[in-house]
Amino acid sequence: MKFAVRLSFLGLAFVTMFSVLGLRLWFVQVASGPAIARAAEEQTWLSEASQAPRGDIYDRNGTLLATSRLVPAVYIDRTFVLPEERFGLVQNLASLLAIDPDELDAMYEEAGINGRFEVATVSSETAFRVIERLGGLPGVEVVKVPERVYLSGPTLAHVIGHLGLPDQADLDQRPDLDPAVRIGKLGVEKTYDELLQGVPGIVEYRVRRSQVIDQRAAADPVQGRSIELTLDLDLQQVTELALEEGIALSNTVKERDRRNGEDVFSVTSRAAAVVLDAKTFEVLALSSVPDFDPQVFVAGIDTATFDALNEAKAFNNLAISGLYPPASTFKAITYTVIEEESLPLPEEIEGIDAANRMVHCDGELVLPELADGSAQIKKDWYYPGVIGWLDIHGALERSCNIFFWSAGLGTWQAYRGSLRENVIQEWAKSVGYGAVTGIDLSNEADGVVPTRELFEDWAEFQEENPDQPPRLDPARLELGSPWVGGDLMDFAIGQGAFTSTPLQVAVSYAALVNGGSVLEPRVVRRVLDNTGETVEEIESEVVRQVDISEETRQALLRDLNRVVTSGTAEAAFVDFGPGLELIGGKTGTGQTSANRDNHAWFVGLAPIDDPQYVVAVVIEEGGSGGRIAAPVARHILQYIMGNEPTPIVAGDKAD
Amino acid sequence: MTVLTRLREVAVVRRNNRSDFMLFGTMLLLSGFGLLMIYSATRSTGTFSMERQMIFVAAGFLIYLVASNVDYREYKGMVPMAAVITLLALIAVFAFEPVNGARRWIPLGILKLQPAEFAKVVVIVVLAGLLAPSNRDEPAPRNLPWSKIGQATLVVAVPSILIYLEPDLGTAIVFGFILFAMVFLAGASWRQMVGMLAAAVAGVVAIFRFNLLDQYQMNRLRVLWNPTIDPSGIGYNLKQSKSAIGSGQLFGQGLFKEGTLTDFEYVPEQETDFIFTAVAEQLGFVGGIIVLAAFAVIVWRLLVIAANARDRFGALVAAGIGAMVMCHVFINVGMTIGIMPVTGLPLPLLSQGGSFFMSMALALGIANSIWLMRTPVPGENQLT
Repeated sequence: MKFAVRLSFLGLAFVTMFSVLGLRLWFVQVASGPAIARAAEEQTWLSEASQAPRGDIYDRNGTLLATSRLVPAVYIDRTFVLPEERFGLVQNLASLLAIDPDELDAMYEEAGINGRFEVATVSSETAFRVIERLGGLPGVEVVKVPERVYLSGPTLAHVIGHLGLPDQADLDQRPDLDPAVRIGKLGVEKTYDELLQGVPGIVEYRVRRSQVIDQRAAADPVQGRSIELTLDLDLQQVTELALEEGIALSNTVKERDRRNGEDVFSVTSRAAAVVLDAKTFEVLALSSVPDFDPQVFVAGIDTATFDALNEAKAFNNLAISGLYPPASTFKAITYTVIEEESLPLPEEIEGIDAANRMVHCDGELVLPELADGSAQIKKDWYYPGVIGWLDIHGALERSCNIFFWSAGLGTWQAYRGSLRENVIQEWAKSVGYGAVTGIDLSNEADGVVPTRELFEDWAEFQEENPDQPPRLDPARLELGSPWVGGDLMDFAIGQGAFTSTPLQVAVSYAALVNGGSVLEPRVVRRVLDNTGETVEEIESEVVRQVDISEETRQALLRDLNRVVTSGTAEAAFVDFGPGLELIGGKTGTGQTSANRDNHAWFVGLAPIDDPQYVVAVVIEEGGSGGRIAAPVARHILQYIMGNEPTPIVAGDKAD
Repeated sequence: MTVLTRLREVAVVRRNNRSDFMLFGTMLLLSGFGLLMIYSATRSTGTFSMERQMIFVAAGFLIYLVASNVDYREYKGMVPMAAVITLLALIAVFAFEPVNGARRWIPLGILKLQPAEFAKVVVIVVLAGLLAPSNRDEPAPRNLPWSKIGQATLVVAVPSILIYLEPDLGTAIVFGFILFAMVFLAGASWRQMVGMLAAAVAGVVAIFRFNLLDQYQMNRLRVLWNPTIDPSGIGYNLKQSKSAIGSGQLFGQGLFKEGTLTDFEYVPEQETDFIFTAVAEQLGFVGGIIVLAAFAVIVWRLLVIAANARDRFGALVAAGIGAMVMCHVFINVGMTIGIMPVTGLPLPLLSQGGSFFMSMALALGIANSIWLMRTPVPGENQLT
């Protein structure tokens, strides 16, 4: 082949290559050009979300608890930062804002190419300093963003909750979330987040070399809905202070006990209380100590503070997630079951008069011989004291365990192995134990109502999974059934494996005293728009209706009144002032284990002729219910009934 | 003294032959047009980029003039020294700080010398010397011996590997293209061409098989087939470039028009590797085709020079330069319109950058010299 021919071949190849380029250019520019041009024109518009202010939060009297204000925030838009400017920018801005440059650099990296991110919200002083130096800070913007302001401090922390940036789980659940906008992480900020959040606006603008040359508001931000809580801020504050004083009282008493040579295992630091409307199931106060100031989350909480609060379990809302045996407060439920179901008392046991439904409360219940020939003795809390013969009314007033144990034993003997064996547990579940109440707050605990079936399930699980922590004493696995009569007896006095939250206890009392209506408790009563007009009234859903005879209800109310006038809480209520005849209540002292202090309980009711308020108080490992919890509840009830609350001093040591 | 003798000899020749004014004119037009486009792409920062490029253009034309007036046959003798200097320079780049992760430059004040660009011209000359019959009386062999092909491959492979390590995949591809074109012209048989192609394919397969490409190079290839895999990262250049070119449509948005993607500087590297984007968006399909036509004229003139060269050496040099220009244009323009991977090859004469402009001026000067010398001295055969 001649050179000229080869050269022609090469020329032909080059012609082909030019043709390919020309054809492709035609395709891109002329054939699909118009469509690309339209997309490109839109591409020069950058859009940016403008945050909507969150809705406000009010208490039931219209007191503002949480709102939003506009604060300066420093943003970096990476579109305007040349790679070689990055290091200087990060160093300079970090020193201006007094933050760690490595942290800022990590945020910068995470934002990605052309990313825009909030560095921090700043004081107006710092904002001015940054604005003065904007010339040397490429890509930096200072914009106003809404920031949450909590006006009630730690008092309502657990109900209101706090905000935080969405984590991966939040984003998976709600894919429409803007990862840069804070959402509710706890309390009503979380449960009502979608209402409070509002709709972000969109600002579109065109930028040419760091200069905004054109701007259009595609959509204005719409402020979120406001909500009105069912809670009363004043009552909430009284409740909170009363709990703190109760904790102090508990520690004073423990100190005295320790000096007297009694066993004391811990320093009291936690407590919870619920004030519930017995008819509407509106929560009027809900307090959990220790608490935290939700404002610390607004500017970004530092790790040390967070860890300290977390260690103290300050974020746990004990009123809905703290699990304690309801102890003697449960006797009001057992009382109702005994009356409504005519539970039999055991025959042929010394000190129990089954025919007359009387029990001799002498501090000791001696049970029939067991198979090994030994007699089992259960000691009551007032042992070695002796009260004498009591009927059901006296037994509730004096919190006599022997009476309620007897009812449990009688049920065991009469119904063991039949469907009626669980009659007390079925009642407990029907008035709200063993399941979440459905309150509009997150992380509610359900608690345990122990039954034969549950224990058998646990035993089976324990045998199959020996590596898991055991729930039952291994000795029980050797028995025919892990569930024994003693378990039912203990359940009748609110002990054993039985656990409940303070809210469940309040709900169960509300149901007993309102004639058997169980509703879902709630902390929000109305949704408002930003002019204050009501958008939606929220009413509690009815969960179920329990049949309780009027006779039993009246008797129970009368006996609960006797608890505070002449029973286990007499001493705690001695200073109540006028209207004590309108108050009812029940003490409780929850045993956990041999080397832990008891949980102090009190549930109060007012007015007793037609109860509207249920006050449930628990002081975790606080000691005796009559001594520690009853004075706290008394203090709250004094406030509710319009009496001047008197100081919280120790009552009688009583279950 | 020899230089003076040469110049006198050239002067004699110049009386007989005239420069290839079509080549020179097109080069002049493209260079001027390039300055305009560089200004349009960088005017938000003033005229600095254009002014700097003007210095390179001026230096380039000086190089062109000198090269035009040197008898290209002199280069045969300079080959060993030029090869050594080029290799040393290619090694020297590794001594300097990398820019954007690559070590391609030797900083010399205003100019960041890029030895790879000059290496292209040196390799073309070396290949031509190797492939052309050394003795002009010796008849051209019917077929190129395999040994020549092996040597030619070696000549290309050594700088290619050094450049590939910088890393600069684009330039390594250009070398391959030049080798193919020149070996073909030098008389390789179809079997030899197929064999080389097979070897190249095997090489590419090996590169993928043994992951010899850096991740970023692999990604640039993957993005070509599927630009949506990373629209803000690697796919970003490509997407922005296609948006800009597409919005140019038939007649363009208009030069210096505000609000274009070029004006917003949305296309990265739009004054260097993506200069064609600025042309096509502002001046449309018509402008783009005119620029392609101008390159076609240059390539056509280079092939004409090859056809008319007085000897095989000159013909191979001119054709090799043509292949180099063709390859650059195809890869660069192809990249902006999404048919070639993003490799960072500049567009000859238009893209901002000193080394490649001067290297192109040198190459075109040599080509012009071949044109000027095309009339054989009596007794010599054309195309020996």
